[in-house]
Amino acid sequence: MKIKDTTVVHNLGLESFGGGANIVAADILDGKIARIRPVHFDEDYTKEELNYWTLAGKNGTTFEPGMKSYTPPFPLVYKRRTYSKNRIPYPMKRVDWDPEGERNPQNRGTSKYERISWDEACRIIAAEIKRVHDTYGPNSILCQGDGHGESKAINTPHGCMTRLLANCGGYTAQARNPDSWEGWYWGAKHVWGMDPVGQNTHSTGTAQDIAQHCDAMLYWGCDLETTTWGWGGQLASRMAYWFDDCDIMHIAVAPDCNYTAAVHADKWFPVLPNTDAALQLAIAYTWWAEGTYDREYIDTHAIGFDWFEYYLSGSEDGIAKTPEWAEPICGIPAYRIRALARYWAQHAVSIAHCNGGSFVRAAFAHEPARLEVYLLAMQGIGKPGAISIKFIEWVLFGLSSCSPLPVSKVVPNTAACYNGPLIGQDPDSFVPKVMVHKALRGESFDWYGHGTAADSRANQFEHFHFPQEGDAGIKMLWSDNPSFTTSLNGGYEFQSALRTENLEFYLVEAPWFEDDARFADIVLPICTKFEVDDFGTDNDSGQWSSVIYEKAGIEHVGEALSDWEAVRRIAKALETYGGPYENLEYRMSGGKTAEQQIKEGYEACGIAEEERDFEAFKKRGYQLIPTREDWREEEVGLTGFYEDPERNRLETPSGKIEFYSSALATAWPDDHVRGPVAHWVESGDGHDDRLSSKRAEAYPFLIVSNHPRWRVHAELDDVEWLREIETCKVIGPDGYAYEPLWINPVDAGKLGLANGDVAGVYNERGTVLGGVRVTERIRPGVVYMDHGANSDVIVAGLGGMDRGGAVNLICPTSTTSKNCNGEVTSGYLVGVKKVDVLELARRYPEEFARNNCYSPAYGQDVRDYIVEEA
Amino acid sequence: MKTLLVDLSRCNGCYNCQIVCKDEHCENDWSPYALPQPQTGQFWCRVDQEERGRVPVVRVAYTPKFCGMCDDAPCLAVAKDGAVYRREDGIVVIDPEKAKGQRELVDACPQGMIFWNAELDVAQKCTGCAHLLDNGWSEPRCVDACATDALRLVDEDDPEFTDLLASAAASEELGGLGSHVRYLNVPKRWIAGTVADRTKNEVVIGAQVTILNAEGKQVATLETDDFGDFKYDFCDKAVYTVLIEAEGYGSTELTADCTQKDVVFDDIFADRFDS
Repeated sequence: MKIKDTTVVHNLGLESFGGGANIVAADILDGKIARIRPVHFDEDYTKEELNYWTLAGKNGTTFEPGMKSYTPPFPLVYKRRTYSKNRIPYPMKRVDWDPEGERNPQNRGTSKYERISWDEACRIIAAEIKRVHDTYGPNSILCQGDGHGESKAINTPHGCMTRLLANCGGYTAQARNPDSWEGWYWGAKHVWGMDPVGQNTHSTGTAQDIAQHCDAMLYWGCDLETTTWGWGGQLASRMAYWFDDCDIMHIAVAPDCNYTAAVHADKWFPVLPNTDAALQLAIAYTWWAEGTYDREYIDTHAIGFDWFEYYLSGSEDGIAKTPEWAEPICGIPAYRIRALARYWAQHAVSIAHCNGGSFVRAAFAHEPARLEVYLLAMQGIGKPGAISIKFIEWVLFGLSSCSPLPVSKVVPNTAACYNGPLIGQDPDSFVPKVMVHKALRGESFDWYGHGTAADSRANQFEHFHFPQEGDAGIKMLWSDNPSFTTSLNGGYEFQSALRTENLEFYLVEAPWFEDDARFADIVLPICTKFEVDDFGTDNDSGQWSSVIYEKAGIEHVGEALSDWEAVRRIAKALETYGGPYENLEYRMSGGKTAEQQIKEGYEACGIAEEERDFEAFKKRGYQLIPTREDWREEEVGLTGFYEDPERNRLETPSGKIEFYSSALATAWPDDHVRGPVAHWVESGDGHDDRLSSKRAEAYPFLIVSNHPRWRVHAELDDVEWLREIETCKVIGPDGYAYEPLWINPVDAGKLGLANGDVAGVYNERGTVLGGVRVTERIRPGVVYMDHGANSDVIVAGLGGMDRGGAVNLICPTSTTSKNCNGEVTSGYLVGVKKVDVLELARRYPEEFARNNCYSPAYGQDVRDYIVEEA
Repeated sequence: MKTLLVDLSRCNGCYNCQIVCKDEHCENDWSPYALPQPQTGQFWCRVDQEERGRVPVVRVAYTPKFCGMCDDAPCLAVAKDGAVYRREDGIVVIDPEKAKGQRELVDACPQGMIFWNAELDVAQKCTGCAHLLDNGWSEPRCVDACATDALRLVDEDDPEFTDLLASAAASEELGGLGSHVRYLNVPKRWIAGTVADRTKNEVVIGAQVTILNAEGKQVATLETDDFGDFKYDFCDKAVYTVLIEAEGYGSTELTADCTQKDVVFDDIFADRFDS
């Protein structure tokens, strides 16, 4: 019997940006994907060839990279994503959008779609580009071409359109905010440098150092058993088990018993969302009052500690930041805070992160991120076993010093064949992603900093304005990432912005008909991974970096084209106008075949010429890069700074840890939310989201929104095999699969909620529906709902209602703080009430009856949004 | 014969095993080993999850369940016309042709690991990925995809595994049937709490915690740690008495009913003699 015809190797990381992760093998049989599985490196390599490493920890334990890929569940379900019922089958046009007549922007998100041909779609799009260029100028086209998605280089899912527009006058870019790192980016960088994102970039050798010297690890809002699944893999889980085997006490600090705490934690500190700063201040106060911090280290390694003492002690505001002060704010009893502080002062304690959650994505996130560095400094960060470690992004932006594990000789890249824009390479005309609502409405506005994750600390002080002088503002939105409302800030406000007259044309290219795509005027069907040839890498597994010759395994599904193919086709259509569009397709592409581009990508990827063999690479499908020869001799983490801070300076202006930032004080003397020294901030800059605030009378819960357990942001919400897992969806009384809303039994009792009920989660911005899951995994006073559920609009725009449970629709639009363009997507106030969905269905009959092809097994179905052909 | 050895202390709940089973069998026709599995609803490998404890001592116990390929397989006993057979390597297979219409096979499995495919009119279950083993694979999809070594396919004659196999247990449902799926580190019930002095707002470190069974017999003594916490992980489904004593404080006696669930006490505030 035949179990496969051929095998193709791809990365199935969903980070995009030209990166890659999660290398897998897919067996193809009879033209379809038969199975997706881990890659067994030992079938192609010996340990000697790879310079295999073994680390040693306490208790005689060891840790090794292993000889197969430790694939997380998401790549393994990708067959269902590929053949999803919600794939866009062909180009479509909104039925009541007429570029020659009425455009009906107010009906975006409501009206249905009709089939058109690729030729007609490209003709309309070319005509619209030409019209916008002639009427308003090139910068009136906003490219929403960033964000996560399939990791492809030639056929990158994001930003191909910028290659077209850059060749005929330019465009305005949406500049992606540092969404995974907001607090560290806007805060911690001013304390300890660590460009580009503010997390510890001096991580070399720290895994082994921790395994040998660390007594306890604070997994602070860290869910390595979830966040790593999109790009990284399960070596992180194995590392966490190794640390457990080394008897390193696992202390979880988060409002929820996240999926990591659920299987690893020895202790859980269920801090209220976005109150970590109070907890941190009380720990610092305890050390200060009891004299148990490293005063000598502070004297030699830090500046401005006296400013912090002045605040901590209460000299500044009359309030000593004692555990008793913190208890009602953060919800942790004073005796537990004191015990934690004393334990920490007497032991080697490290902090673990995996991005996401309320710690780093809430209002004023720069404060807890700064305070974390203060705490680490007060206990002498850099000494054995005391460091900050990440379980993800181990060679972030190609920085191998981010990895706590031995790294490969080369961190390969795809730049030579990457057809999108790189993070941090925005044109002069750009809009911060978190302010894009304003641009769509036609407003002009100011801000500081490019704010992309690749920018330096100093960049935060630069001033910008939109639109540029002489420009007309945004009139057309070209998006290949129509998931803003599910993944970014102020979702309902974004929906409203999409429905303004100012936005004349909204073009979407995407594989699936999800979220914002249902507001578009034209929708183009796009290919997924296995449908195209490409060049890939996997740099984040922690094993060995690899390059991948990604052969297409299957035919294009439906009428889909890859993003690169689609944009080239639009370029061809534009060529009919001549002038600036003459020969456009060739100018943007060089007319290269996929194989040519793969070869160029491989030759420039960073692997030395003597170690390259294109034909062997093509035949095997991938190439692993051995571990560095000298990995045992590399300096561990921040040891250099710890031992000699004068010679091993940090990237702050003083070269030391800055409790007081002169740079912030000089730039914004009147900024009291992100002042020169980290503080507890009760409210300000558009945020009033404390349980003690007046708003809490109407909205009495704080909400936690993490990286989703069973999705990568907006992706994968249509996978049957995930949706039938108990924690993925909740089937309501109407048979609809709702996004789970976690609530503690104490609160559920008060609200009369039981498992399987449907609840409305709401605030001034609108309502989303969730399926109730009563659980001890969330503390009282807090509810939990992952972001990214595929939206299902009942009422669009501000004050709206969503059945799909896309919770970011109701999160704030205001940014981290007034000078920090970060998103606030967790730790805000909501109300919760039981909803009678059957009654609701009577109130909104059309919206509830729309789902004819919908199935709770896979969710929404594109056919429900297409008008029947005559 | 091989045993699927499941180490529950290493299962992180990723569901890879459950998922790849579907990847292998949904929409794939591996006749004569198995017909396609429906896209949803059948779980030839099924991960059960149980949330344990209460704030702030909470854990999730994940238990992957499989066909035991039992020595005394009840499905073999009820099958007609040789619809269920045992291969030489011990794998028990439902013949998809002969099992047509034999709905009674579904009820034969005490663990609920046989499913009815109404569309194809056939009973279906795990094949041990026999079609892969017969074509060069050394282990089934579930084991291949397990990233933490929680699942291992071990040779029962391999002396390296003799002790481990001896300490491993079959699932409760398949006990006594000679299941070849065995579990290590099966969790028991716990009693947990924190002892604190509310007048000083400090935890009580080194308090003695004595755990007594229903007969008044002492089953364990432990001390509160640096966080004032204690946790005893080895309880039966029974009722216990917990006695907490610390120098300078009055003693506290509590009842811990572990029959239905784990016990996490509200924080225990010890009264100081001098207060």
